[in-house]
Amino acid sequence: MKGLVLAGLAFTLLMAGSVVALRFYTGNKEFKVFLGAFAAAVALYAGAFWLAAPDLGFLPASWRETSPAVDFGNGLLILALVFHGYWCFCYFACLSPSMSVMVALRARGARGMSSAEALAIHGSDQPVNLIFQRRLPKLLRGGYVREEPGGYRLLARGGRVAAFGSFLKRLINAQVGA
Amino acid sequence: MLKGLLLSGSLVTAWLVVQGVVFHVAAPRKAFSSMMICFAPTVPLYLILYAVTSADLGVLSSRFVGADWRLGLLNGLAVHVLLFLTAGLFYSHADRSITVRLLIELARAPQQRLTLGQMQAMCGVEVLMQDRLDIMVRNGFLTACGDRFTLAPKGWIGGTVGLVARRILRMKAL
Repeated sequence: MKGLVLAGLAFTLLMAGSVVALRFYTGNKEFKVFLGAFAAAVALYAGAFWLAAPDLGFLPASWRETSPAVDFGNGLLILALVFHGYWCFCYFACLSPSMSVMVALRARGARGMSSAEALAIHGSDQPVNLIFQRRLPKLLRGGYVREEPGGYRLLARGGRVAAFGSFLKRLINAQVGA
Repeated sequence: MLKGLLLSGSLVTAWLVVQGVVFHVAAPRKAFSSMMICFAPTVPLYLILYAVTSADLGVLSSRFVGADWRLGLLNGLAVHVLLFLTAGLFYSHADRSITVRLLIELARAPQQRLTLGQMQAMCGVEVLMQDRLDIMVRNGFLTACGDRFTLAPKGWIGGTVGLVARRILRMKAL
């Protein structure tokens, strides 16, 4: 139970820290903010687990896990799983094209939206629509693709991600090109 | 706690195998619903297995047994649900990631090279948005009337969650 309590506290601080950090972060690599917050939360959790008393000063004896290693590992596992869910939720809620449509539709009320208007939200009228404006520079900087006159070429690193992605899609029987 | 973790881990592993078979044999259109349907029986199964098995599962040493059984039960159940949600998110990454889709298209292209126009034709907003609108209608988030879409109650809740999250988190679309 000690691990669970400390993991709960670490996750609360992780959430608060990431929300504050995102307000001051000016770049567009938000994953660094999330991973930094997670690393800090894990360090905090491990430090607190090492320093705090086994009963944290208030846990009844029957709630104390007999193996500290299991207690620590269990707390770390739950912290990691909850963090993964939080991270995905943040990206989906803030950046997902589907969510952008729902947020825009909520503001429009009964007027609704046509397919063309949904496309316009994502810059379909621009030479490089918003989906590519966000992703292509990251793929270039990360060494996944290279820009060549008139096009883009896949690099070895991008090829490995593509192979892994194809494997995952085959695993779940998703259309590989979808 | 270890008993609950082992039971949960075993059941989740078995569910993943069954789900993999379901994906390949039945190819369900509503993937997440299919995952829910296949996963749901594992929750009562976990509770039954926790109740009928011994505290040490016949294999654990005594130092891993001793904490309140109710705590072990609830902890294992929480991990069980979290593992399911993680698997659902994993499915979503594999199925929906735009970046991965783009890299796969590049890998399949002649000389692994595409122009920006070709990339936009394959994975651009026009292709993506039609796909997403269809999925949202199919899953009951949107209502389609001719070429116009409005929010269904489920979509309104989703839009509200998104709006609040965007106000709090301040992540940039670009």
